[in-house]
Amino acid sequence: MNNIAYLVPLFPLLGFLINGLFRKSLSKGTIGIIGCGTILLSFIVSLILFFDVKANGGVVVNYFNFIDVASFQIPFAFQIDQLSVIFLLIITGIGFLIHLYSTSYMHDESSEHFGRYFAYLNLFVFSMLLLIMGANYVIMFIGWEGVGLCSYLLIGYWFKNINYTNAAKKAFVMNRIGDLGFLLAVFWLLSKLGTANYVDVFEQASTGLSSTDVTAITLLLFVGAMGKSAQIPLYTWLPDAMAGPTPVSALIHAATMVTAGIYMIARSNVLYSLSPLTQDVVAVIGLATAILSATIALFQNDIKKVLAYSTVSQLGFMFLALGVGAYTTGVFHVMTHAFFKALMFLGAGSVIHAMGGEQDITKMGGLVKKLPITAWTFVIGVLAISGFPFTSGFVSKDEILLAVLAHSPVLFWFAVFAAILTAAYMFRLMMLVFFGGFRGTHEQEHHLHESPSAMTIPLIILGVLSLIGGFVQLPHVFGGEDFFNQFLAPIVPAVTHEGAEAATLEYYLLGGTIVILVIVYVVTKKLFAVDRFDGVYTGFKKVLADKWYIDELYNAVIVNPLDKLAGFLKNVVEKSGIDGIVNGVGKFVNYASRQLRLLQSGQVGNYILFMVLSIAVLFLVFWNQEIIVQFLQKIF
Amino acid sequence: MNAIILSAAFGVVMMLCSFLIKNKSNFRHIASVALLILLIGNIADTYGYTFFAIDTHGMLQFNRFGLLFNSIAIGSTLLYVLLTGKEIENAGMHVAEYFTLILFVLCGVTLLSAYNNLLTLFLGIEIMSIPLYILTGSDKRNMKSNEAALKYFLMGSFSTGLMLMGIALTYGGTGTFSLEVVRNAPNMYKGLVSFLEILGLLFLLVSMAFKVSAAPFHFWTPDVYDGAPSVFTSFMATIVKAAGFIAFIKLCAVRMAETESVVDWKMIYAIIIVATLLVGNITAVFQQSVKRMLAYSSIAQAGFMLFTLISLNDMAYEGILLYSAAYSLATIGIFAVLVKMKDYTFDGYNGLAKTQPVLAATNTVFLLSLSGIPLTAGFFAKYYMLAAVVKTGNYTWLVITGVLFAAVSVYYYFRVIQAMYFKEGNAETTTIVPSFKYGLIALAAIIILLGIFPTLLLRWLYF
Repeated sequence: MNNIAYLVPLFPLLGFLINGLFRKSLSKGTIGIIGCGTILLSFIVSLILFFDVKANGGVVVNYFNFIDVASFQIPFAFQIDQLSVIFLLIITGIGFLIHLYSTSYMHDESSEHFGRYFAYLNLFVFSMLLLIMGANYVIMFIGWEGVGLCSYLLIGYWFKNINYTNAAKKAFVMNRIGDLGFLLAVFWLLSKLGTANYVDVFEQASTGLSSTDVTAITLLLFVGAMGKSAQIPLYTWLPDAMAGPTPVSALIHAATMVTAGIYMIARSNVLYSLSPLTQDVVAVIGLATAILSATIALFQNDIKKVLAYSTVSQLGFMFLALGVGAYTTGVFHVMTHAFFKALMFLGAGSVIHAMGGEQDITKMGGLVKKLPITAWTFVIGVLAISGFPFTSGFVSKDEILLAVLAHSPVLFWFAVFAAILTAAYMFRLMMLVFFGGFRGTHEQEHHLHESPSAMTIPLIILGVLSLIGGFVQLPHVFGGEDFFNQFLAPIVPAVTHEGAEAATLEYYLLGGTIVILVIVYVVTKKLFAVDRFDGVYTGFKKVLADKWYIDELYNAVIVNPLDKLAGFLKNVVEKSGIDGIVNGVGKFVNYASRQLRLLQSGQVGNYILFMVLSIAVLFLVFWNQEIIVQFLQKIF
Repeated sequence: MNAIILSAAFGVVMMLCSFLIKNKSNFRHIASVALLILLIGNIADTYGYTFFAIDTHGMLQFNRFGLLFNSIAIGSTLLYVLLTGKEIENAGMHVAEYFTLILFVLCGVTLLSAYNNLLTLFLGIEIMSIPLYILTGSDKRNMKSNEAALKYFLMGSFSTGLMLMGIALTYGGTGTFSLEVVRNAPNMYKGLVSFLEILGLLFLLVSMAFKVSAAPFHFWTPDVYDGAPSVFTSFMATIVKAAGFIAFIKLCAVRMAETESVVDWKMIYAIIIVATLLVGNITAVFQQSVKRMLAYSSIAQAGFMLFTLISLNDMAYEGILLYSAAYSLATIGIFAVLVKMKDYTFDGYNGLAKTQPVLAATNTVFLLSLSGIPLTAGFFAKYYMLAAVVKTGNYTWLVITGVLFAAVSVYYYFRVIQAMYFKEGNAETTTIVPSFKYGLIALAAIIILLGIFPTLLLRWLYF
């Protein structure tokens, strides 16, 4: 069965080529069918692979040698195992739903741009699949760069708006910083072990690498993850990335691409487990990001910005899980987060669609009456992310908290704080958008409508998944079997919470969650389910609403000095220094040319004279003296 | 052996054709067929099927390197005839004779790739050179062409004299014409006899340097290349020049290498290389005529090919083959475009991209290849040349010099590109037929293909 693995990325690639090359001649309907159909086919193949792996375990499929220099080889190979099939299902499954949603959401675009959109989207899925399926770090890096490119292209999809293209550039540059770290890590690995294949690297890691090597490599890889998965200090691009179309935000900047960093660390868990220092760094940065972005999310007035900061925050949770060694839990949270965050982004898209492009939540309110499906699925999403008992988010987040508690109680309380903040900003968002009274214009109110079925069907499916998706990993206490952990066990050592103590903790968490959620519900309902809301903040709230001035700080500390330096180099060093040298060389060569040209007099006699003189010079200068002396002696 | 016999025979056939056939354009087709058969015959030889078994008593020695070079030379000539055959017809009155002479030149080329004796070297050089004197002067009514032919002949005679002198002296020194000399007495070099040999080899070296237009023996090149009809300049500057290198390399690798302990030949080579690179590249910068620029460029490219003499290792042999192919193909292409131009100056190319986009685009590929830009054959050709020297571990300074001069060469090659694409003007050409364009595109495609997979050509060495 594994010989069909190549089909998974092949279909989206074909879709990209067809939609990209023929976007001017194809109708929107055809483009939509190709765009969605290819992903659906990939999903079906992924399902086949999933059941195959479940029955027979993982394999590495070698296709050809991508790089083959002397004894050094980088094979083009796919690793189809428990970890990668889970990601395959998430990417192709949710990818398909979002493609379907896009056919309706992007329907106002002209046919050519519609084709461009789907071409980019398919290319993204292709790159993401390459990233996941590659059996070595080099193939992963190809996908890693590919998704970065597609992210850039799609953020700047409406390229006529300069702010959007700036956001795209910011995302690209920030990602490049991370990519450099990734690349250095791969080079380090290659120079020490001579291979980048996961199987070989993990086998030789404990013997072939010193502890310094492991720490450096894992830290550098983590720098890559910081860029791609938007962690402190490289997270600021993700909120700006909301400039892209909303389905893009759902697919790339919530469900799939930003989780590439988590995938990479989970994949490299053997290396990370060898370096406790890196693990601590990962955990602390993850937690700090989770709290920082949650505080920012509390006071944002843009519906997508709230979701973006929420994504950053949830990614922080995932890294926290990875950092404390609970790799399966991190991956599990990737899955549940993909469900409910994609759901909420698509819901937000539906709201924006209904509001005629309005994204400011201070102008919304009471939408539950006009958009019931959107509203109630969104509520499911909010409950899931806030950890309402027995939703998918509850299961994954509780597992993270338990894993953190086992590792360090201090981190645990910070994590609980972040979780409470999550519930708070999410309920605030929900109340402002769907409850209370409508605060927009009459025109907007008149225009309000539920979205077409191509948009609501994905919402319903994702809503159901967000509700029940956690059952594959329900704690024993509640009668669950940890299918998910067991499935991943061959790749990632599972963390189990057995015994009476774990059971007690689960009950505490359950009770605590309910209490907190009730409080949050009451408070946010009172504060935000209102008829009037101005959304203006003062004092410390303003600091949070202005995102802790991190962007301004980066500008002052990094961007402006760099600009100044570049200006100095351009105006002083280049103009008077380099240009002078370059022009000088050019002038000198020209002058020399004019002089040398004169040698060519056109007179044969002169030419022959020069030649004879040259022979004489060669004879005299390069002649071994001894030979001449002996020659003369013989003659005389 | 196949190629030598066949090329001479086809030359005679061609000559007879001139009495029998009246329609001029038929000669071109006959020549193409003849060259194709010649190519097939030579490839057959490479695979061990020799049609003519003649005992040369060791005066000729056929090895894979030489035969492969023959294939490149004959193949390039075939492409040359296909691409510019029409222009050969227009060069003068006696069309059949031009093709005859080209075939005779090939006979000389194939001799040079196989010689193992100083007499066969002389024979090859002369068979190759004499038809060229005639071709140079083929435009009888043009004074420049006549002048060039006379200059070429005079200076060529001078170099022939030097060569004969050299052969005589080496014979005096060793008592044999054979390239490989059996030396018994270990102290032989200290005596008078070896002195004669080394003096003779120096003369041989000078005459060979003359043939490949290495400085300071290059003076004939600009005048002759400029004066000769452009089609024949193209032939002289490519296939003939590459053949000269093959002969030169063989001489250096066998005979001069044996006397290495007495004279530091490599130092002499190095001086010649630097002088050639300097004169070729620097003088090309200020030229106003593209044709004359190409003459200097051919000197500059010769400087790069001379790197083989320094390294003389496997990589260098592979490199010189690739270089011959890359340089010949690109230069044939550039000349093919040049002969279509009404005005040979740089200004004559102004705006060619607008009037003839295909010509401009393919010409750009050829120029990029000559300047050694990656993804063209010229890049790997230069790379092999320089890497082979680096591998020997010495003469790093020479490699650096080479790279610097390659940078200078970009200036004058890109001037043509700049004229074609970025200058306003209305470049005039003679009528261009579609098949000519397809030919150029095919040539450009080969150059790019070799630039991506240089091993396509080189693998033939190790089949």
